[in-house]
Amino acid sequence: MPTVILLDVSLSMSRPVSTTDTTESHTRFTIASAAINTFLDYLCIHAKLEYVALVTFSSVYEVAVPFTREFDNIRVKLPQLEEGDKTCIEAALHGVNHLILNEWGYQTPVQIILITDGSCGVGAIGRNRIIQALPLPPTYPAKIHILPVVSPHDPCLQHAMPLYQKIVDLASNTVNNSNVNLIRGAIYCPDQLSVPGVGVAMTRLCEQHYQEFWCTLKCGQLETRVQIFPAPHPAQQEGLAASYTLSNQLHVIGFLQQQDLGTPIAISKHLVIPQAQVGTNSSTRENYGSKTPTKEGSSNEGTSTDEDNISDPSKVPNFCVLLHGALKVEGMAAIVQLGSDWWGTVSAWCEVSRARRSCLLLSILRPGASAAPWLGALDQLGPADETSVSTETFPVRSWRSYSGGGSGCAWARPHALLADVQKVLRHARKLPDKTQHLYKELNRLRRAAISLGFSELLTCVGSALERECTVLPSSAPPECALQLAHAAAALRDPRTALDIKHTLQPLAANFTVTSMSH
Amino acid sequence: MFPTNHKTIFVLDHTPYFGISSDNPIDFDVSKSRGPGYVPLPSVCKSLWTCSVEAAVEYCRIVWDLFPEGKLVRFVVSDSAAHILNTWAIAQQNLTHVLNGLCLVGPVRRGAGGDVVGLCAAIEALAEPSPTQAAQRPTDMLFQNRGRIICITSARDDDSIRSLAEIALNTLIPQNKKASTVQPPTTTDASTSTQSLVVHYCHLVIINVTPEKADTRVNNQPVIEMGGGLMGVEVIVCRASALANLLGRLVLPHYRLVTTTVTGIPMKEEQNASSSANYDVEIIHSAEAHAGLRALQTAAESTESVVLRWWTPRGAEGGAGGCNGPLWRVTPADVASRPSACLVNFLLNGRSVTLEVPRKGGGRSASHVLAAQGGELWIGALGGRTPYEDPPALSEGAGGRVTDYRIKEFGALMQQNKLLPLRGPGSNTKSRARLQRHTTYWPLTISSTLIFNLGSVIEPLTRLVVQETLTEDEVDSCRGVLLSLLGMESRHEFPTSQLPSNFRGKSSGRRDEQWRQVWGELEALIRAHSASPAHRALLRTLLECRSHNNHNTEGESSRASVIRATTDSPLSPVGAGNGNSSSDVWAPRNVLDTLLGAPRPPRRPDFAGRMVAGSRVATLYQHLQQDVETPH
Repeated sequence: MPTVILLDVSLSMSRPVSTTDTTESHTRFTIASAAINTFLDYLCIHAKLEYVALVTFSSVYEVAVPFTREFDNIRVKLPQLEEGDKTCIEAALHGVNHLILNEWGYQTPVQIILITDGSCGVGAIGRNRIIQALPLPPTYPAKIHILPVVSPHDPCLQHAMPLYQKIVDLASNTVNNSNVNLIRGAIYCPDQLSVPGVGVAMTRLCEQHYQEFWCTLKCGQLETRVQIFPAPHPAQQEGLAASYTLSNQLHVIGFLQQQDLGTPIAISKHLVIPQAQVGTNSSTRENYGSKTPTKEGSSNEGTSTDEDNISDPSKVPNFCVLLHGALKVEGMAAIVQLGSDWWGTVSAWCEVSRARRSCLLLSILRPGASAAPWLGALDQLGPADETSVSTETFPVRSWRSYSGGGSGCAWARPHALLADVQKVLRHARKLPDKTQHLYKELNRLRRAAISLGFSELLTCVGSALERECTVLPSSAPPECALQLAHAAAALRDPRTALDIKHTLQPLAANFTVTSMSH
Repeated sequence: MFPTNHKTIFVLDHTPYFGISSDNPIDFDVSKSRGPGYVPLPSVCKSLWTCSVEAAVEYCRIVWDLFPEGKLVRFVVSDSAAHILNTWAIAQQNLTHVLNGLCLVGPVRRGAGGDVVGLCAAIEALAEPSPTQAAQRPTDMLFQNRGRIICITSARDDDSIRSLAEIALNTLIPQNKKASTVQPPTTTDASTSTQSLVVHYCHLVIINVTPEKADTRVNNQPVIEMGGGLMGVEVIVCRASALANLLGRLVLPHYRLVTTTVTGIPMKEEQNASSSANYDVEIIHSAEAHAGLRALQTAAESTESVVLRWWTPRGAEGGAGGCNGPLWRVTPADVASRPSACLVNFLLNGRSVTLEVPRKGGGRSASHVLAAQGGELWIGALGGRTPYEDPPALSEGAGGRVTDYRIKEFGALMQQNKLLPLRGPGSNTKSRARLQRHTTYWPLTISSTLIFNLGSVIEPLTRLVVQETLTEDEVDSCRGVLLSLLGMESRHEFPTSQLPSNFRGKSSGRRDEQWRQVWGELEALIRAHSASPAHRALLRTLLECRSHNNHNTEGESSRASVIRATTDSPLSPVGAGNGNSSSDVWAPRNVLDTLLGAPRPPRRPDFAGRMVAGSRVATLYQHLQQDVETPH
């Protein structure tokens, strides 16, 4: 999750901190800087791909370093920051909202680490006013952590606590994106006001909220350890209390052509990054030996290369790379089981702008078997059997009729009703060629009218047909008049007109004979 | 936990009053008069009944188009009795079923009766569990059975409306009491009878319908709570002609929907195909799709339809694939209009279109994508960076510099493990079991295998052996492969032409070793699949071949001795080439190691350290430390 470090640079942050150690003099600001460095150090090891931005605030906010993976830019910037006037949290949060919505939109979950000096700078009334003015909850999924650089016994902190608690609570009430269930943020108070004390609090924050997510990607007996980045969140389904947590084994259940797969309803997407097989030669053999029993044999060709392989993980064959290559070449995607009643897809993906740099992308689908209705129920995806012939292919048509293509009777708007009646009359004027069409349309109209209890319409169409009869040109074949009269009469027949089971049929007799009998 | 919109019930008034005309004439003679003697048609008025049915049906259409599951609607037609048109069952949750039911009900007939029976029946229906509710335990603390009743009726005045609401509440309270007391003893036979649930909340919307010109003494009333929050009652007064619009507007807050007007869609004119004009189409979808646009809007603005401009697609577009987030279903607001139909057909034919936010000052910003998938229309939001952008290069990661992955073969494996929509449970498991079989022996790289590089020589065997079972014929053709390999070996041939060049170059001097690798790999492959009797039979054949093959080498002892004479160093132990003495010159290995490890050359003795160590790991230079220490 992209992270915003929201750093208080108000004047009160420059207050010196009294220490027993006289060799160094610290202010709250330098302690905060040290904490940020601790944070960046942690990310360097555990979450190198995280985007971090540094926003400073006092009564105004400033984006000191925009979102970057070059953490050094932030380190360099820290000593250069200028101090401001007074702490003004609501303005800062406005600024953060603006920055995040512009950069990440409203679908990407974001973490905000607010580092301040543990005093809200106002009295109780002012504090409540700030609470009222907070631009929270944000329209994007977010969690806010607060790290007050303050001694735990400072009375200011007690006063500011309700405000901090409110910020943390409100941030997790995101209205948007009901599928993702973010763990809420927290307040990390240091045990003592010193560089190590605040550093410990920051490390605690990192360990709780910046855990990398590792799992095993399994395809039958082939498997590899992968990192899923960004770390996935538990998901929730509306109407169910249960939340879905990603299992640490992702099982490939099979493959699909990319065009059959389409774009299922994903709740988040993640990079799948292969990891070196950890351990020594012997454990490598445990993982690989059973699948490549000849490895020893082939490596006899030169033990030196084998040793190279062990020291350089990029030269040890990895299933992930193979999978990526094959998915790309075949234009396919793998369906993976993420947990019970939960699926995802793995496909080769590359950014449009950097077509050559391609990677494996895991799309986590909405929990439940119906995340891609055109694939049918996901739990019923199975192998094409050698023996039996599969009856269905993709896309699976939904059993319900989609009104967009259907022929409903949406006559609530008069133009729709008019169009249907005009259609009948158009056919009536083109008899005898359109006899079949006329009766088909009449029956459709009747069916709709009966279900709506709209018998008035049928009477009206009956008279319209009779009128067409009277204005027939003299050259018209006698059949026309007969069919029109027949249809008009049928629409008015009290016994059959409103009977849904009855279908109007064209007059089917031999016309020369009928006309003589009349 | 179940939202109010999980269950909705329409109560339609079918009493004689609803047979009267809505007094909103529709004129069919829109076209110009067609000359003298052309008698104009009398205009037609819908009855109140027709108006209420078509409005309710339209409401349902929107709900079911957007929520194929989880949002249920039922119909109760009320005259002298309550006619229940459908149940909560999924099979009855569609327009066809409801319309058929309405056909059977027919137009309004003479007779007595009111809407009260229907309302009571609706409240009873709310207590019936839906399929999803039945699948869960109602004892759960979070279990909330809520619902909405939309009652379309016509009352004399506010008092009649109030008494209607009171009747509803007076039905609900004893019914809840009964449901909550009955539950504990019936837990045992809960599965057999359809137990009724406590209704935790009921939103009752009473719509009072009148003909165009009739006066009414009923007034609008915002939601008021009754029965201590058990019921929320809302009254809306409406002309029959405006009823469809009203319900079309009500459905939006009920299901958290919003509308988007797609503007500037170029379409051919209906009458004149050579010219085209721009049309607007209004579509309905989840409110979440607009979250990004709403972020910087006021509350008042957010109730209006968002206008997005059609961005004429150039060639093939990425479709919904460009969306990083979720997709939402879309349905046209006016399904019968020609522009709607054109847009729907355009999308259903597999095209997609980008929508942009209209801007005055120029510059374009794509905001949404419309696309069809599986015969349904979807909208997805565009824009924003993604946290996974600029990924690390695979070539720099683990395994990234290996260049000889068996990509083509894995592609073939993927094709063999394609998924299809099957019926019935266990399909996923079946598929995983199959993948398991297909990957039992699957070297990742070309250089780590010989047998998979032999192509047509070995192909039927590698293809057939992964099957769950083998027929007689298949076993025979596998045997054929083994025998032909044996033949080749005895003729000192090696199918080198099949091998990649790096093997070929080195191969000539190492043919024996290559054959050993081939047999070793074959054994590992077949052993890994030896679950069925046919596979075991094949394994026996293979083992016979191998022993035969070993015997062969020994049989050619004269040739072997020639080679030994030329290659062995003078220090080679005498009789090292004798296969029978292998137990003496080789350290013991367990079966697994034997299977996994390289076959041992029959001639060379094992490393002395390993022979001493036995089955343990041999220590190298074990005396080194001693040697260093002794001088001190």
